[in-house]
Amino acid sequence: MKLFFKEHILLIFVQLLQFIIILSILWLDGHQQFSTALYAFFIGCFFLSCYLFYHYYSRKKFYNRLSMTLTSLDESFKKTDETPISEALDQLLRDQYKLYQNQLKTLEKQQNEHLKFMDQWVHQMKTPLSVIELTAQNLDEPDSSNIREETERMKNGLNTVLYMARLRSFEQDFHIKPVTLSSLVHEVNQDNKRFYIRNHVFPKLENRKDGITVESDEKWLFFIVTQLIHNAVKYSNGKNSIVITIYESGEEAVLEVTDFGVGIPEVDKKRIFDPFYTGENGRKFRESTGMGLYLTKEAADRLGHRIELDTKVEEGTSFRIIFSSSQNLTNM
Amino acid sequence: MHKILIIEDDSKIADLLTSHISKYGYQVYHVTDFEHIMDEFHQHSPDLVLLDINLPSFDGYYWCRQIRKESICPVIFISARIGEMDQVMALENGGDDFITKPFHTEIVMAKIRSHLRRAYGEYAKQTEERVLEREGLKLYPERMEITFGPITASLTKKEADIIESLMDRYPRVAGREDLLEKLWDDQTYVDENTLNVNITRVRKKFLELGIKDAVETVRGAGYRLNVSWTEAGEV
Repeated sequence: MKLFFKEHILLIFVQLLQFIIILSILWLDGHQQFSTALYAFFIGCFFLSCYLFYHYYSRKKFYNRLSMTLTSLDESFKKTDETPISEALDQLLRDQYKLYQNQLKTLEKQQNEHLKFMDQWVHQMKTPLSVIELTAQNLDEPDSSNIREETERMKNGLNTVLYMARLRSFEQDFHIKPVTLSSLVHEVNQDNKRFYIRNHVFPKLENRKDGITVESDEKWLFFIVTQLIHNAVKYSNGKNSIVITIYESGEEAVLEVTDFGVGIPEVDKKRIFDPFYTGENGRKFRESTGMGLYLTKEAADRLGHRIELDTKVEEGTSFRIIFSSSQNLTNM
Repeated sequence: MHKILIIEDDSKIADLLTSHISKYGYQVYHVTDFEHIMDEFHQHSPDLVLLDINLPSFDGYYWCRQIRKESICPVIFISARIGEMDQVMALENGGDDFITKPFHTEIVMAKIRSHLRRAYGEYAKQTEERVLEREGLKLYPERMEITFGPITASLTKKEADIIESLMDRYPRVAGREDLLEKLWDDQTYVDENTLNVNITRVRKKFLELGIKDAVETVRGAGYRLNVSWTEAGEV
């Protein structure tokens, strides 16, 4: 309505001006009859308003549509009405929609190709890595250990890439089932024993209650725990143990990874879960990508687990994965 | 002697696996013509097959199905693919086990042994007991005993592991990290001291056999076997 008035205000003004001019010409010409003049004026107004009313009602949808904002791309496909101007508008929107769609499709295709390539590439890199590792086993110490340390690091990097790619298709890539926390931790430790040994940090497992079982995806939980352990070991800074505790707090099950190392400065605490954020510690210690905790947090969020942390500079950090009471199957 | 066939198109991995596995007393063949894998299979009639998934022309699943048409020998897949679906596919197509790259040779050996045991029985066609020998010093890792001249000493699992690594690596140094990794078992985790304690015990065992200074410490690297005795039993 408002738009319609704005659009036609000039027309109304010009019409009124025209009436007055015509009437005054006639008036000055000597036809000085007030009632006739008034009558003619009303007739003029009547036709003008008839036109305006018709115009408004036949294009009501059109004006409504113009003053509304689009909320989704698909809405631009809606038909307005039959008048020529509305049809022109529809056509314009359809063309725009098509152009945008095309562009989006190409970009999407490019991105998918890139992801597929990355995935393939990561898998291809594993064979050369195996060759290097096997060859290194036959070398003299300490070269043998040094080379294997580097291949291990590459292996971890490749795994992070894979998990990063998988996070995008998380919905198709998880399988919820009961997981016994203590055996999961054993497996993770077994998998990382060389990493512990190399860093001279050794884990202690404190299992406060036997058989704590939670509902989760084993593969992702394995990844999350591995990341937390890697961080704990990396930032242990000379202390040679970390403690992994499994316990129940109220109805909830908790897996806690505690180190006694450098701790996280207060300023960094809020942002450690941001992607690519490395913080002060990341700059001091090498091989920080800023992706580990981001992926951990993302995966935990999607599985519905909470992550909490306590930290004090120079005293250590503990990360807790908290499984809600409905995910805790221990007492069932 | 069990025969093992390796079907892997990366020749370096195949070579490394061949040399490693044959150290344990198996006869190893590896396929070179990937168009006619079944011919080589017939020719060698192996007791166990290690199979890659990504191969030229047909993939590993296909060859596994071909093998299954005529043989029930264990088939272990070795692949870089780690997806759950790939493992399911491998097992559904007749595979018995799945190892992902990059793999640990010890895991490969353990799986080979376990599958041979399961398929052919512990004692049937027994490969002779493994013995490591160095100048008259004999280690029997499976019964955890060591013999030198007339004297035999029994060992704990950890001591046997350490001596096995030392003899295996001789004349090179057995790395500290490797030794610790070997001592790490499922239930109890090791720490820095575990290795020192066990090396001391191993030295004592050697003294019982009448051998002095058999284990030499190499700073910053690990330990090396020092052959200070001779075949004749002289120290």
